[in-house]
Amino acid sequence: MENDRFDTPKKKVSFEVRDLSNFVYDMSRCIKCKGCYWVEHTYMPGIKFTTRCPSGTWKEFDSYQAAGKVRIGLAVADKKLDWTPKLLEVIYADPLCGACDVGCKRNLDLEIGLSLEALRIQAVKDGAGPMPAHKKIAQNITDTHNQFGSPHDNRKKWLDQGISVAEKADVLYFAGCSGSYTNPEIAQATGKILNASGTPFMVMKDEWCCGNALYSVGMIDEATELAKRNIEAVKASGAKTLVTSCAECYRMWKVDYPKMLDIATADLGFEVIHLLEFADKAIGNGSLKPTKEVDLRLTYHDACSVSRLCDAWRPWKGERGWMGTIEPRYQRRRGTEGLYSQPRNILNAIPGLTVVEMPRTRENAFCCGAGRGTKDAFPELASFSASQRLEEVKEVGAEALVTACPFCKNNFSQTSKANGEEVKVMDITEVILASL
Amino acid sequence: MNRLKNVTLDVRYDECLVVRQYSEVTASVNKKRRGARLEDKENERVHLKGGEQMSTKDDLASIVGESNVSDALEDLVGYSCDLSMHPPAMADAVVRPVTSEEILGVINWANRKNIPLIPVSSRTHFQGCTIPKQGGVVLDMVRMNKILEVDIYNRKVRIEAGVTWKQLTEELDKQDMRVIMPLLPHSERSVLTDWLEREVPTNTVYDYGEPMQSLEVVWPNGEIFRTGSASVKGYPEESKSKGTNPSGPGLDFYRFLQGAQGTMGIVTWLNLKIESKPKIDKILFAAIDDLGRAQEFLYRILPRRIGQEVLLLNNVELATILADKWPDDFEKLRATLPAWTLIVVVSGLVRRPEEKVAYEMEFLGEVLRNEFKDVVLTDNLPGFPGIGKKFMSLVRKPWPKEVYWKNQWQGAAHSLFFIAKPSATPLYVKIVKEIAEAHEYALEDLGMYIQPIEHNRACHMEFNFFYDPKSASEKALIKSLSIAAAKELLNNGAFFTRPYGDLAAINYERAAGYTSALKRVKKLFDPNNIMNPGNLCF
Amino acid sequence: MAITQEAYNALESVVGSEFITNDPVLCEGYRSGPGGYESGTGYERVMTKLPKVVILPRTTEDVQKIVKICNRYLVAYLPYSTGFYGPRSHCHVENEVLIDMKRMRDFEIDDKHWYSTVQPGVTYSPLQAECLKRGGYVVVGGGGAQVSVVANMICDGWSPLSLRIGFPHRRILGLELVLPDGEILKMGSLAVHDDAFWGEGIGPDLRGMLRGYTGVLGCLGIVTKLALKVLPFQPEELVPTGISPNTGLALPTNRIKWLNFQVPSKEAETQVMYEIGRAEIAGAVTKVPLFWRAIAKAEGKEEFWDIWGLENEDTIKNFHIVRVLLIGFTSEAQMRYDEAVLDDIIKEVGGVMRRTKQIDQSWIKNADSAGMWLMCGAYVSTDYIIESIPHADTHGPSYANLKAQYTPPFMPDYGDPGWTMGCECGHQGYSEYLVYWDPDEDTNRVDQFYVETSKMNIRERYYTSLLGSHQPLYLTGPQYGPNYHDWLLKVKGEFDPLWICHPPLPLAHDEFVEKAEWMKEIKDWETPEKFPMPKW
Repeated sequence: MENDRFDTPKKKVSFEVRDLSNFVYDMSRCIKCKGCYWVEHTYMPGIKFTTRCPSGTWKEFDSYQAAGKVRIGLAVADKKLDWTPKLLEVIYADPLCGACDVGCKRNLDLEIGLSLEALRIQAVKDGAGPMPAHKKIAQNITDTHNQFGSPHDNRKKWLDQGISVAEKADVLYFAGCSGSYTNPEIAQATGKILNASGTPFMVMKDEWCCGNALYSVGMIDEATELAKRNIEAVKASGAKTLVTSCAECYRMWKVDYPKMLDIATADLGFEVIHLLEFADKAIGNGSLKPTKEVDLRLTYHDACSVSRLCDAWRPWKGERGWMGTIEPRYQRRRGTEGLYSQPRNILNAIPGLTVVEMPRTRENAFCCGAGRGTKDAFPELASFSASQRLEEVKEVGAEALVTACPFCKNNFSQTSKANGEEVKVMDITEVILASL
Repeated sequence: MNRLKNVTLDVRYDECLVVRQYSEVTASVNKKRRGARLEDKENERVHLKGGEQMSTKDDLASIVGESNVSDALEDLVGYSCDLSMHPPAMADAVVRPVTSEEILGVINWANRKNIPLIPVSSRTHFQGCTIPKQGGVVLDMVRMNKILEVDIYNRKVRIEAGVTWKQLTEELDKQDMRVIMPLLPHSERSVLTDWLEREVPTNTVYDYGEPMQSLEVVWPNGEIFRTGSASVKGYPEESKSKGTNPSGPGLDFYRFLQGAQGTMGIVTWLNLKIESKPKIDKILFAAIDDLGRAQEFLYRILPRRIGQEVLLLNNVELATILADKWPDDFEKLRATLPAWTLIVVVSGLVRRPEEKVAYEMEFLGEVLRNEFKDVVLTDNLPGFPGIGKKFMSLVRKPWPKEVYWKNQWQGAAHSLFFIAKPSATPLYVKIVKEIAEAHEYALEDLGMYIQPIEHNRACHMEFNFFYDPKSASEKALIKSLSIAAAKELLNNGAFFTRPYGDLAAINYERAAGYTSALKRVKKLFDPNNIMNPGNLCF
Repeated sequence: MAITQEAYNALESVVGSEFITNDPVLCEGYRSGPGGYESGTGYERVMTKLPKVVILPRTTEDVQKIVKICNRYLVAYLPYSTGFYGPRSHCHVENEVLIDMKRMRDFEIDDKHWYSTVQPGVTYSPLQAECLKRGGYVVVGGGGAQVSVVANMICDGWSPLSLRIGFPHRRILGLELVLPDGEILKMGSLAVHDDAFWGEGIGPDLRGMLRGYTGVLGCLGIVTKLALKVLPFQPEELVPTGISPNTGLALPTNRIKWLNFQVPSKEAETQVMYEIGRAEIAGAVTKVPLFWRAIAKAEGKEEFWDIWGLENEDTIKNFHIVRVLLIGFTSEAQMRYDEAVLDDIIKEVGGVMRRTKQIDQSWIKNADSAGMWLMCGAYVSTDYIIESIPHADTHGPSYANLKAQYTPPFMPDYGDPGWTMGCECGHQGYSEYLVYWDPDEDTNRVDQFYVETSKMNIRERYYTSLLGSHQPLYLTGPQYGPNYHDWLLKVKGEFDPLWICHPPLPLAHDEFVEKAEWMKEIKDWETPEKFPMPKW
C-alpha cells in the first residue's frame, strides 16, 4: 500500500467554526449531487414535495442551495467576493435547518452545516453581518436578557398558574424566551406535565436567553459569553438534567454550547433533554398517564433542532492528509440521534388521536423556515417555508399540526391565518396536557 | 447481354401487363427524365444536357462487371412496378454489385452524373418504394446475399442486404435459433430491409424492442461507414467489438436509416439479435366479439410478461392465413371465424421450460377466473380443430406459399397501418368502417390485424383492403378510401411512422417542423438528392 | 462578446426579474468546480467559466424566446438541468448565459401505456417514486437518482436494471427540442399529436441527433420535453426504511430480492451473467468493483481505507461476487422459477450464495453515485460501454493495466477491472471503468490518462463511450466510422452555424488539449490548423 501512496503534506484542521479556513476542504469537495436540496431519494414521496431545502426552494438559483453556497463560501474564504446585500441574503436567508448537512453526509464526510455557520461568523467578523433585524435582537438580549426586549422581570410570569416548582431538584426546566413571553402556554403545559409525572423540577433563579439568536447569526463571541454564564448558573443550581420544551434552546444547550466552548456534550456537567424525551420515558414507565381521549386528526412536524441538528457535539482537531483522511478518527454527526420515535410514541399513547404522517417526515421534514434568525430578517422566506409545509398538512387531511418548538408553532400559526387556512397549530405539550 | 431474373414473383403482375403499360408511360416517363433520353432498347446511347455523350451501361460495367449491369427492357420491367398501387415507372439501368466498394463506385458515379439510385434488396415489394420515381439506376443487392456470421454465443447474426427471410430462418433453424419476426413476412423479402423499415414483430415479450444492432452503410455522398460498435477499426476480424451495439458513434446514424425507404443510404450488412428457440410452445386462442374488452385483457396480462407471440386477427385476416383451398376454405373460414381471434403463444425457454409454461398458465388462469370470465382463452378455437398446430407451423417462419397470403384472395391488398394506443383501436375500427361504407367497400371484406407492442404500451394496427389489381376502378376506390381513412385516423391520434405512398404527403404536411429538419439532415448526407428521390418528403 | 444591457433586458422580459440574474454572487454559485464529477482536473480548471447571466425559464416557449434572443444578440448559451455532470455541463466561454431549467418540472404519467412525459427539471427520484406507486419502474442511471431524467436519457442512462432493456436511447419516446437557432423540433408522435407516446420518426428518425451512444452534451439544442418508457414492475410495496446514512428500501422478498453469489473465477462470473441472460430471467445482474462494497460497509472515509487497506492484487484477483436482482414481474411462482433457474446456473459454475441484506440501498430508488467521492474526493468514469460480454471481459482489465502506470495520483485499486454487468438478456455486456484521486495532488497525469484511455481503445480496437465531445474529436473521429466526426461537425454546422449553443462543444476537449501545456506532450494525432468554429 505504501508504494501507491504519495507524500501528501498534513494540514492542521479543526471543526472550529471561528475559522472559515477549517472548512475550505469541505466546501471544495461538494459534488453538486444536491443531496442537500432534495428529499433523500429513498424517501422521495413523488413528484410533489420533492425538496427539503427551504432557501433553495424559495429562490431557485443554485446559489441558494448548499451546493451553490459552498462555492460562494470558497470565494468568501478566498476574499474574492465583497459583502454585498446579495451575499448577505445568500448567507442569512436560511434557517440552517440541517437538511443539507444530513443530506450530504448520507454519502460523504463533509461538514456543510458547520461551513454555513462559519460563514456567518466570518460575516460578523468582517463587520458585514448580521442583518439589522438580528442586531436589534442582540441588543434586546444585552438589555433585557430576552430576544423580545420585554421586561426581564416578567420572565417568570408564566408560573402564575398553580404550577408547583421546587426550590431544588435534579431536574431544571429551562423555559426559554418564547416559553416565558410569547408562548406561555407551552411553558405552563410543560410545568403541569412535570407535576403530573411526579417529577420535582426547579427553574433557574435568573433565567437569561439561551443565546440562539446570537450564535445562529454569527455573533459567536457574545453567544459564548452567554453560554458560559448560563452553564455556570445551571451548575450552581446543582441540576443533573436540564429539560426544555423549545427545540432551538435544546439545540443550543446540547450542541452549540459545547461547540463554542470546545468541549463534548458529555462534558457539559449535566444532561440536556427535550420534553419529548422526558415524556416518552415517563409514559413508558407509567409515571405519566395520558388517559383522556383527545379527538383530533393530527400530523406531527419534526422541528429541525430536535431532529437533524441535535446529535451530541463532539469536538475535533487534528490533521488532514492523504486522500483527505483525518487523524485522529472522528465519528461524524450525521443526524442519526434525532428525536423521531419519541413524539410518535407519545402521540400513539394518547387515546382518540388519529396520527397521520406527512410525505416529508423525520430527517426529510421541510423546515418551518422561522429558526436561526430567518423569520426576523427574512419574514417572506419564513412564511414561504411554512406555506410549503402547510400544503403537506392539507395533503394528508390533518386538522391539526403539532410540533415541539415555539418558533415552528408561531410561524405555522401566523402563516396559516394569513393564508386563510383553518389548521389548528399546537405544541405537543398542549396535546399531552389535554390527555392528562 | 445477360437477362436478369424477373424479380416480381406474383404472376398477376406479369410482364405482359407491364409491357402493355410501358408503351403508354414511356412517353411521359421520358419527358420526366433529367437530361436523358432512351432512344430504344438497342440504342445504348444516353444523351445528357450539354450534348455530352456517355454510356451509363459502360460506366457501370466498369464498376461491377459487364454481366452485372443491364439496360434491357426485360431486365428493367420487373423493377418498374410492384405489389402496391403505385403507378409503374422505368429505370434506365439496373446494376448488381456484390461488395460495398462496388456500391461506393456506383454512388460516386451517380453523384457525378446526378442520376438517381434506387436501392433494392428484396425480391418482392409491397409499398412502391423501389419504383424509380425519377428514373435512374436500380441498385439491386441480390448478389449480396450472404449470411456472414452466425454468432451463437452473442446471439447475433450478421447478414447482407440480400439475405431473405427464408434463407435466414432456415439457417438459424439448423442451429436451434430464431429471429423474432413480423407476421408472416414474404419469404423473399430482405430481412435487413424489413427491420430497417421497422416492421413490427409478433413477439411482445422483449423490453429491448428492435433486434437491430450495428451495420454498414454506404452514404449517398460516397463514403463507406459503419455504425455502432462496428465502427471500430478492423471490425470484425481485427477488433474486440462484436458489433452488438447499434448506437453511435457520436450520433445515432442508424436512426436516420430507419424508415427511410432507401433514401438515406445503402445498408450493406446488418447485425441482428437472434434468440434461443423456445423448447415448448403452447398456443392459446380466444374468440373475441368486443375488441375493447380484448384490449383490457391485454392491458392486464402483457405487462406481466405473459406470452411470446401475442396478436389479434379479425376473421378475414385469419381466414386468408389459414385457407388452403381457395375460395372454398377461405369463404367458410371467413364466415365462421369469430369477429376477432386473440392468439397467445406461451413458451418455455432454454431452462426448465415446463415450469415457465406452468407459471404463465397459472397466472392466466387466475386472471381469467377472477377478472375476465367472459374471455375464453384455451388451447383450442371451438369449431376449428387443428388451428393451433397450423398456426404454430406458420408463425415463426416466412410465408411458405408462392402467392403471398394477403394476395391470395383478390390478387392484391392495400395495407393501411400505423402505431396506436390499444385503447383507441375500437374507435379506429369504427372510423375505418364508416369510411369504407361510404366508399362502398364491403365491411365483410375488411382485413384487420392488431399487433401489441412491448407490454401493450402501444400497438401496430393494420387494415387490409383487398382488390383486383387489374381493376382500375377498384384501385381508385381503395386509394380514395385509404387516403380518407388515413386523414381521419391521423386526426384521431393514429401515428404513421411508415408513411408509404400517399401517406407521406399527408403526414409531412402535418409535421411541418419535423419535415423541415428532416430535409436539412437529408441534404447533409445526400447533397445531390440521388438516393431514391420521390419518396417520403424528398 | 459582452452581454449588452439590451440583451439582458430582453431576457428579463421573458422570465421576469425574479428569475434572471447577473449578480456576481449568484453566478459564483454556478461555478463548475472545484468538486464534482470529473472535477479536480485540468479540463475543469482550464475550460470552465462562470456564467455571466443565469436565467430560469419555466416553459418551452420561455426557452425558445431565450434562445432566439441569444441568437439576435450573439450571446452564447448552454442548457443546465442539475449541473451534476461536471465541467462539461457548465459554461466554457466568457459572457455566457446559463439556462437553468430546474423550474421546468411538468410531469405526466400514463400507467396504462407505460410512459411518462417530463420536463428537464424532473429528476429520477420523484419519477421513480411515482412509477413505483403504479407498479412500474424506470432504470435510474448510474449517475444517480438526483440527475435530470431528460439529461440522463439523452446522454447516458444505464444501470444493472438494464439487463432487460439495455440501451437507454431505446427508452426515449416523443420529445421536443429547441434547436440552436430557436426553432422547435418535435419528434416522435409529438410531431403530429399532443401526445408523446411513441418515439419513432415519420420515416427516418431524427432522434439520431440526440446522442450516439453517449450524448452530445447539449450542443445541438435543448430538449424541453421528453417521454420515456416506464417498465412494468411487480406490485408489492418497497418500504423505505432506516435513518440516513443507512436508508434503503425493504424488499418484499416474495416478489423481489437481491442475491449475492461467490463464484470461483472470472470465467465463472462471465458464465453466470451470460447464462442468466440466455435464460431470460432476473431483473439485474452485475459484478461491482470490490471497493464499492467497502464504501457500503464503511461508516466514513477513514474506515473505508481501513477496509480497503486489507486488500491487495491477490484478493482482487480472487474476488468474484456476482449480484443478481430477481423480480417477480408475473407472480410469486415466476419468482420461484427464476430462483430455481438461477440456482441451476450457480451450481453449474460451483458458486455459493452469500448472505445478502434484503434492502436496496442503490439502483432501484437511489442509484447511489455520490458515494464514489467518499474515498478520495475526485472521480470520473473513463468508459461506460455496452458491447458484448466478450468485449466487456477484457475491456476493464485493459484499463486497469493502463491505470497502474498512473497510480499515483490515482487511488490504489490493485488492478480492479471495474464494473461489469449484462444487458439486453445477455446480448450485450457492459464495462465501466472508474478512477479516483485527490484533487489537491498534481492532476496533470489524470488529464493525460484520460486521453490515453482513448488511444488505448483505438489501439486495442475497443468500442468506447467517450466519443463526441468527451475526448478530442480529431483523435477519435478518424478511428471510428471512420470519420464520424465529419458527420457530427456537419450536423453541428447545419443546425448551429454560429456555434452559439454550448460552445465550443463538440470540440471542447480538442480545445483543452491545445490550451493545456501538459497535454501537448501526449498529442500525437492530427488536427486542422484552425478548428471549424467561430471563436467566442
